[in-house]
Amino acid sequence: MKKVKILCVCGSGVVSSSMVASKLKDMLAEHGYLTETVESSPNSIESDLGGNHFDLMVCVSPVYQEYNIPKVSGVGLLTGLGEEEVIEECLEILSKLD
Amino acid sequence: MGMIVKELIDVSLDANDSEDAIKKVGKILFDQGYVKNTYINAVVDREKVFPTGLKLKSTSVAMPHTDSVHVNEPAICVARLNKPVTFCHMGSADNYIQVELIFMMAITDPNKQLDTLKRMMSVFQDDEAALEFTNARDNDELYRIAKKYLN
Repeated sequence: MKKVKILCVCGSGVVSSSMVASKLKDMLAEHGYLTETVESSPNSIESDLGGNHFDLMVCVSPVYQEYNIPKVSGVGLLTGLGEEEVIEECLEILSKLD
Repeated sequence: MGMIVKELIDVSLDANDSEDAIKKVGKILFDQGYVKNTYINAVVDREKVFPTGLKLKSTSVAMPHTDSVHVNEPAICVARLNKPVTFCHMGSADNYIQVELIFMMAITDPNKQLDTLKRMMSVFQDDEAALEFTNARDNDELYRIAKKYLN
């Protein structure tokens, strides 16, 4: 399994991001990725990044600031509508990693 | 551990708008002792900044919540609105949807309550399950359905 690290961002950094994180771990595992997640909120991204490397950021609340990490909207993971598209977008970004 | 209790089920809630809905559902949680007196305003404020409406296949729901400091004991209040009210969609600032079902959450530790959160997500993604919630005829039936899917 390839290891990837994803920052999951929602309003409070707890509830929806935990839901998104568990979904990402399950769905990306089917594509051969071992996913480590950190749950965050728009106000604490800076400190949660903490200078560590993240491959991807999946957000269910808008993040306007740029952090030099690819960003994907993850709302589809909660509703199931457009879920495949979210995963495909993630896979496309992850496939370009070394 | 089940987070669904009968006292937190309301199959016919009247609300004028999303704020009114949050206040009324929040009051149910407060009256039953699950949340502190700061909870309702915290949820109202949070919903304005980070909306929680979700458009599903056949219906729309909202899952208002707030930080655990406002919560005494974990619980979910499930309410169906007699008349849908407008919520903003999660992740957007101007995508408004008509919400029929409210799953208002009192969360103390998302890691401990992750199973419930995952079950709730499964309901959102399962059209038939979501329709069972919207079609419940009375409190008893909504309670049974909520227990079946979320406990």
